[in-house]
Amino acid sequence: MNGSVKLNGLHTALTPMWKLAEQAGMVFQNPGAQLLTDSVVQEIIFGLEQLGWSKRKIDARLEQVLTTFDLMPLRDRSPQKLSDGEKQKVALAAVMAREPAALILDEPLSMLDVTAEQDLLNEVGRVCGEGTAVVFFEHREARLRRIEDLKRLELNGRRSRTLLSPVPFPSGRIPPFRVQVRDVGVTLGATRVLDGIDVDFDGGELIAIVGRNGTGKTTFLRALTGLQTHDGCVTLTGEREGLDLGLVFQNPDLQLFNASVREEMLYRIPDPDLDWYRWLLRMLALEDYETTPPLLLSEGEKKRLGLGVVLMRRPRHGLLLDEPSLGQDGQHKATLIKVLRQLTEQGHLIIFTTHDLELAKQADRVLLLGEDGLTADGPADAIFSSRDLWEAVNLAVDVPDYDNPQKVNREGS
Amino acid sequence: MIGLGRGGKRSLAFVESSPFRNIDPRTKLLMSLWVSLAIMLPLQKLAVVMLLYALMLAYGRLLPSALRQLWRLKWVLLGLLILDWWIVSLELALSVVLRIILMAGAFAFFFSTTTTAELRKSLEWMHVPYRYAFSITLAFQSLGYLEDQWKQILEAQRSRGAWRLNDNHDTWLPRVRNMVALTVPSIVLTTKRAWTATEAAYARGFDTPHYRPYQDLTFSWRDLVLVVVLALASAALILWR
Repeated sequence: MNGSVKLNGLHTALTPMWKLAEQAGMVFQNPGAQLLTDSVVQEIIFGLEQLGWSKRKIDARLEQVLTTFDLMPLRDRSPQKLSDGEKQKVALAAVMAREPAALILDEPLSMLDVTAEQDLLNEVGRVCGEGTAVVFFEHREARLRRIEDLKRLELNGRRSRTLLSPVPFPSGRIPPFRVQVRDVGVTLGATRVLDGIDVDFDGGELIAIVGRNGTGKTTFLRALTGLQTHDGCVTLTGEREGLDLGLVFQNPDLQLFNASVREEMLYRIPDPDLDWYRWLLRMLALEDYETTPPLLLSEGEKKRLGLGVVLMRRPRHGLLLDEPSLGQDGQHKATLIKVLRQLTEQGHLIIFTTHDLELAKQADRVLLLGEDGLTADGPADAIFSSRDLWEAVNLAVDVPDYDNPQKVNREGS
Repeated sequence: MIGLGRGGKRSLAFVESSPFRNIDPRTKLLMSLWVSLAIMLPLQKLAVVMLLYALMLAYGRLLPSALRQLWRLKWVLLGLLILDWWIVSLELALSVVLRIILMAGAFAFFFSTTTTAELRKSLEWMHVPYRYAFSITLAFQSLGYLEDQWKQILEAQRSRGAWRLNDNHDTWLPRVRNMVALTVPSIVLTTKRAWTATEAAYARGFDTPHYRPYQDLTFSWRDLVLVVVLALASAALILWR
């Protein structure tokens, strides 16, 4: 690194880390990897022990933080067994518990549901009001405008390449089919994650699954592909062959291992359709990286490559995507929707889980998952216009209209 | 008041309901060391220790999980038993098998009833510097995640067609390909996790001179009783001719 960085007069390159940590707290992008202990309570205590706080002071702060971040029900759980959104809440709580003078947050909203997002923005507004400096890295600047006391918003970064492709989307239509989900339930350890899910999906539908962190959205996708053992059944009607849905995982690092983007995309594809390959590369804005090792790509680029490798295989009936907009800017999200729309026009079924309500609004149909299972299922317009439905799944906030951002006051009203 | 969290499932089968959960980890560590030293005893004494240990596991509701672990070693144990019996004697064969069982199970009850936070505090009590005690417990805790991570990679690679079950019946090349598809992401993810965990620990003040533990270990009357029983058992084994 060239140049120098000073934090409250301390030269960051020359100061011991523990001294810097007393001044600033940082939450990293990947919440799972930064959790260090085997219970939520221990995770929060860890940072407070390092500050040398007394037991009484730690108890008081612990109670406060668990309540603020709505972590009381999870307090004795192992952080690694939580959903990614819950892990993110724990990572944020562990750092904010230390009450640092400065907070550096790297995409902290990416995995949070709307309620948790609102809680965090309120908390950030509160600590800002008390004099804490907060540096917030986020793709969606409209969210940041909702923070009270927002002092400065800097929009950095180069503009993404134009993503519209001159190569036409391959034509053709697959025969109609229906996926019937009957009485599907999943138990993980001692927790009943899903129970009695009954729903039908038709080929050609674009479906969003929305719900609070930990309501079983990812588990439901895994159950649809057969990766997760479950009660009940998932059946395919209208076709003789079995259901073939590609699953795009939330963490692309699980899938990438080849020496270049090209090798990654073409790996184990017999007689690859190179027109399809070129089209995918262009649509996913990866054309310039064909010879680049996937592990050197940014998180957003890896995420798009993860989608590319599954699409390259051309799953017969469609795609399941777990949080596909994570780490993507507005332009890439628009491209993503365009690709998914074209697939549905061919008759494919597309189901994605998301906390990103802007993305969910683009779907034909929205499923709301609550603690009691499937709470609502209907056209996106109808779901988004009903406040009662959102309250029923404990997403009891106004569905944000990011085109008309309003600052949130400290009570979150 | 808020007590120490006890976590969820860990790498070994954690038994929250075991009566040994209330025992000081230092006492449990001492008991484990005692059992592991017992492997040096002759067959008769070894059999008695084995019986006592099994009774202790049964009392601690740990016997079913210990037997499940042991079942995984069944072919190794059976092979050794037959081989030693055939080549040397039945007495030696039984001694070897019992010693392996004790070695494998000596620390089972410690790790099945002790959280990593308690393990760390025991190590600190033994004057292991905090930074090393923390690193040891973090490494121990990570063992369970590696298993989960391996499973996730397998699922992700199957989903994209990069790992195929049927390939196992083919020639060696597809098998190597399957293995590469699993090991490369595994190495990458493990390295990234280790790197991020280190950075996250330092970002939360790890290695500060101000460190002050939240909870101290307490040696209760139960621990005293167990230590006395252990001492009496040791004396009995020494005096037994």
